[in-house]
Amino acid sequence: MGKSTNVSGQAYAFMAMTPVKPGEEEALATYLRGLRDAGPSPFARVARTHLARFVIVPDFHNDRTWGQRKEEHLEVPYLIFTSNFDGDLDSYLDELCKALGPETEQIWGRCIGCPENASGATLKRYLKHNQIDTGIFFAAYGTAPIGKVKQALAHREQVMEFARTSQGLEAAALQKAFLAQFGGND
Amino acid sequence: MSANATPAGPITATGTASRNACGQAIAITVFSTIKWWGRLFLPVLFFLTRNFPKLTVTLRQLSFIHFARWAVVTKMPYNGPPQRKGRLRYPHMYFESNFNGGWEEYIDAFSHILANGMSAFWGSSYGFPKPLPTSPFKAYIQVNETEADHYYSAYPDATSTMIQRALVLDDKLAALQRRAKSMEPEAFAAAYRAFLTDVQHCI
Repeated sequence: MGKSTNVSGQAYAFMAMTPVKPGEEEALATYLRGLRDAGPSPFARVARTHLARFVIVPDFHNDRTWGQRKEEHLEVPYLIFTSNFDGDLDSYLDELCKALGPETEQIWGRCIGCPENASGATLKRYLKHNQIDTGIFFAAYGTAPIGKVKQALAHREQVMEFARTSQGLEAAALQKAFLAQFGGND
Repeated sequence: MSANATPAGPITATGTASRNACGQAIAITVFSTIKWWGRLFLPVLFFLTRNFPKLTVTLRQLSFIHFARWAVVTKMPYNGPPQRKGRLRYPHMYFESNFNGGWEEYIDAFSHILANGMSAFWGSSYGFPKPLPTSPFKAYIQVNETEADHYYSAYPDATSTMIQRALVLDDKLAALQRRAKSMEPEAFAAAYRAFLTDVQHCI
């Protein structure tokens, strides 16, 4: 089997488009927009998530001057959920569906076809059913899992600080300070 | 314009709605409607782009992008009424990017540096005005763009440039760590100075 078009390095691009129930668009939008003020994003509980988003698409854009012979409209608004994460899809969705328990009903519970009180395997099945495959996935640092990214950022800060505080040290003192700060691997 | 023009340090997101921002990270989400021949052309373009990495060299030089994706949507998965079954009348292209910096600067960089690539990706979309001049292209993206309702970044303070440079620094730091303990102090001091010179562009 060939490499999935959703994969770049070890990173995976997931996308699900789910139809919003008629009359629920405003409540869903209000809920999603309020997540930021309600505390840390629910995605913070899914440790493998680099970047993720919810977008409600109300309709396609139609413009007669563009030469499109017939207009095309969505019959209902769609909720797009995309995530850029580490590793394989199945285990990620297991973690996501577990971690987003409290939010699930407020989000996909407002979408057509989502089973009532969906969670765990039921929600995972629903999301996979609505998955849209990616054609091209570009990941600038797709070989680096999130732990490595955070560690590298922390080390960068530490190196900058060390370079500042170690100025003027004699060779032996410099080595001692370096080993104390960063350790030494034999 | 330089491909690496974005500074490594924090800069303020401008030109987009606050809901499209999470710290340094900016979301762009665009749907465009594709002409009939795009249904045939885009899968071939995607295949070539995936399998010939040289085609994405320029994209990689746009160091302010974290992740980006293109997808062609030809039908919606069916979940029951009032959804219609079957294919959409037209295919639609979904594009999303996660980047840092200003919205206008992002589109400018795409237009100037990736003009041919943009024409290839969006050339089969209705209304695509060519990437240059940038004003009509920006207007085109704006009318097709949808604001995020919730956007999340696991490292909101970090730019993509910062991350890519930090990863380079981390590898070199690990190499020095491996040698540090067994070196004589003078040799270590020389190696440390060489390390700092080597990673200067990363900090």
